[in-house]
Amino acid sequence: MKNILITFIALFFAIESNAQIVKADIIATGLTCSMCSKSIYKQLSSLPEVASVDTDLNTNTFTVNMKSNTNVSPKIFKENVEKAGFFIGSLVVSVNPKTLEKYIHVEKKQVPNTKQVQVQILDKGFVTDKEFKKLAKKHKDVPTYTAGNENNFHFRIVN
Amino acid sequence: MKVVYLYVVLLFTQLVIGQELFVVTDPASNIPANSLSARMGNLLFKEKFESGYNYHLMPEVSYGLNKNLMFRGTAFISNRGNSLVTEGGSFFSKYRFYSEDDINSHFRLAAFGRYSFNNSDIHQEQIETMGHNTGFEVGLVATKLIHKVAISSSLSFERAFDNTSKNPFPDHLGNTATNYTLSIGKLMYPKTYTSFKQTNINLMLEFLGQTINENGRSSLDVIPAVQFIINSQARIDLAYRHEIMSSMYRTAPNGFYLNLEYNLYNVLKK
Repeated sequence: MKNILITFIALFFAIESNAQIVKADIIATGLTCSMCSKSIYKQLSSLPEVASVDTDLNTNTFTVNMKSNTNVSPKIFKENVEKAGFFIGSLVVSVNPKTLEKYIHVEKKQVPNTKQVQVQILDKGFVTDKEFKKLAKKHKDVPTYTAGNENNFHFRIVN
Repeated sequence: MKVVYLYVVLLFTQLVIGQELFVVTDPASNIPANSLSARMGNLLFKEKFESGYNYHLMPEVSYGLNKNLMFRGTAFISNRGNSLVTEGGSFFSKYRFYSEDDINSHFRLAAFGRYSFNNSDIHQEQIETMGHNTGFEVGLVATKLIHKVAISSSLSFERAFDNTSKNPFPDHLGNTATNYTLSIGKLMYPKTYTSFKQTNINLMLEFLGQTINENGRSSLDVIPAVQFIINSQARIDLAYRHEIMSSMYRTAPNGFYLNLEYNLYNVLKK
């Protein structure tokens, strides 16, 4: 009984903090060389939750396909791109809209009732510094956005 | 002289489009966290006052501890004493403390330090802790990358000690120096990437200057280089170092570099 309870609590928390990410499109900043891209590619590919990574070297875009039923925090993408020595300029994740309530919506646009929805993460470290300054002004009435708690994720709908 | 100036300016404008994995200097960027890089540095320098060349072999291993901090160990082997002898080694560390990154560009600052030991005889005024002198070097480096061009500049302080009790630092020479470098690199090929397997070609031009603090004697060298990056994992550098001016006594200022490097990403699973 105790074990079931612990499992249940653990599961609850896991779902609580993370939306179910199917795919992540990352544009990395600060690089133009293929060796640099390779270090990001290797870093992302080494994650156990990742099924495969496709790379566009010209735009430094990394499409990360996740294994099914994985609950990960967008934080892992940021941490691993930074380990390679670079930064995230844009992160768009494809998620199950039912699990999107874990994130904070900064726009009034309705979340579509589809199987998958693409959302861009807007927090500091997930957009370029310039972009973040603009967004902070735009969303100054969203108190959690400017508070900058690293476990809160704010999004806008892309598609 | 005017012609030389014009040529340098021309090279600058031509090259202002590359990459920052320079042959002789280090950029402000570090190697990725948890990655290893092994390099076999070969230097062949022409003796100025006697016939022949001296050969230096510098095997080295670099490791990225985290995204901001890296370490490097280098061994110095040379044939200056007729046969190949291990003369010393060095320990280098670099800490990146500032990054401003944007799409296809970045500006970074790093601080670095090196301690070297060497048991060879001291035979010139130039202070060089890479393979000649026991001593240390500390400095700052700034690197700007814009699309295909990287520009990097460093300023450092270098101090030589006695190499060994048998080979002490000569009393009549200045034992501290200020070093200044300027490096420019440009990605020449490919124009557009198709895969990680594609060979990249970079052209580079580096300027290395040194002034002995005690007496103001100086030298300035230029190093043009071509670099091949193979399979996004291995690197071959071919460079030539040429003395542009010097008011100090140097025994072998001009020569060739051939570096072979191999990178291993994510070596230690955490």
